[in-house]
Amino acid sequence: MENSEKIKVLYVDDEMNNLISFKASFRMKYNIFIANNTTEAFEHLNKNPDIRIIFCDQRMPDKTGVQFFEEIRSSFSKPIRILLTGYADIDAVIDAINLGSVFRYVRKPWAEADILSAINEGNRLYIMNTLIEVKNAELQKAYDELDKFAYSVTHDMRGPLVTILGAVDIAEDMNDISELRQMLNMMKESVNSLNNYIQNIHDYYNVNRGQLQISEINFEDIVNEQLETFKLTAKVNNIRFVTKVSQNEPFRGDPMSMKIILNNLLSNAFKYQKKSNADKMVELEIQIETGVATILVKDNGIGIAGNHIGDIFNMFFRATSEEVGAGFGLYNVKDALLKLNGDINVESILNEGTTFKVILRNK
Amino acid sequence: MLTPQLHFIVIDDSKLNCFIAEKLIRNNENSNSVQVFMEATEALEYIKNQPDTESPPRTIIIVDIQMPVMNGFEFVESFEKLPEPIRLQYDIFMISSSVNESDHNRISNYPSVKKLLLKPLTKEILSHIIDFEKN
Repeated sequence: MENSEKIKVLYVDDEMNNLISFKASFRMKYNIFIANNTTEAFEHLNKNPDIRIIFCDQRMPDKTGVQFFEEIRSSFSKPIRILLTGYADIDAVIDAINLGSVFRYVRKPWAEADILSAINEGNRLYIMNTLIEVKNAELQKAYDELDKFAYSVTHDMRGPLVTILGAVDIAEDMNDISELRQMLNMMKESVNSLNNYIQNIHDYYNVNRGQLQISEINFEDIVNEQLETFKLTAKVNNIRFVTKVSQNEPFRGDPMSMKIILNNLLSNAFKYQKKSNADKMVELEIQIETGVATILVKDNGIGIAGNHIGDIFNMFFRATSEEVGAGFGLYNVKDALLKLNGDINVESILNEGTTFKVILRNK
Repeated sequence: MLTPQLHFIVIDDSKLNCFIAEKLIRNNENSNSVQVFMEATEALEYIKNQPDTESPPRTIIIVDIQMPVMNGFEFVESFEKLPEPIRLQYDIFMISSSVNESDHNRISNYPSVKKLLLKPLTKEILSHIIDFEKN
């Protein structure tokens, strides 16, 4: 228990006495690993990838300290390397810096204070490097997203806009009012699609940049909100919207993510209906039991072809041209679930309907 | 000067884009027929099922790149697999709301694709396509 909190330090030396006295001097303060040769050193490194500092003697029979450091530079790049040598060997020190990129050089026989200061300084550098690594990974992810975003802006936002522009262009030569009206209706669709897209981007940033705001969730309220949102769509398109909630215990989660998930799944369920169907239906069923929320969004619409099921959660993927979509909705759903540590799966039969099942755990 | 009439096939998943393209083409004095498809698979079927004639009409295909189900590139790939006599009746122009370097490189692999155009389709771009066909 205590050991796990101590900084791990590896000391490699061919003289057993040195190893023993090193361990005796510093084992109280640090978690010391000792190796009599480089093979043993590799074993320690493989078992303890979190070793932060390596001291290595320069003069050893199987290989020099510089050779060892050079060797581990790429395979174990994180530990801070410190060379120990009893000889005033300036060449070894130059090599150590140039080839093994060691952090420090400590003269042998070592003074306790030198070792302590080397460990402290080395540890500080180790922590800084780790932080930089984490930040770099975050930056890389942000850049990748920005790339995708830039592409998507040029394409998906420009798409509807240039379509409208094209329409305005030909409107100049049109005189038939009913034809113009017909075109205006189609232009409205383009505007809606753009508007919907911008709303999705807003959701995307809420999921990705926003911190989760965990609070108690009353699913009855959530469902009522959705009933209100889709009331008009259901009425206009003659779709039955059936809801069922059973919650007998408190549940904590992020309401914003919950809204994004339900909104997208329901809007798809309402959108991808069979126009010819006399009994169009969307069903929302939520059940909370022993800390798990199971949400079912069911429709009897057009369904998803089997070969598309694997792609539906990908950004910008669209399985059909029957309805206007940006290919963003389900991506946002999956993203939100990833952040909440939830699961989603889908069952669908072409021309019969689709059921999405979302599993969320109490936070 | 009498120029041979041109036939057009337009493939775009947006209803409005199809509507605009149809209008523009019908209003152009050099063209006489236009067929629009919102799904590339349907256009491909249509092309495959054209009856054999002695001197088939010259047809220009204007196809959008970003489309669900079968996108513009997938359409071109399937088209390139059709028998040569069919292929030779058509020239393909791809169109997109954003065009990047890799798209340009990609079309050079397809002999049937003549050009990559930036949306929107306008009178000027249509004349440009027709001029290209006449020369």
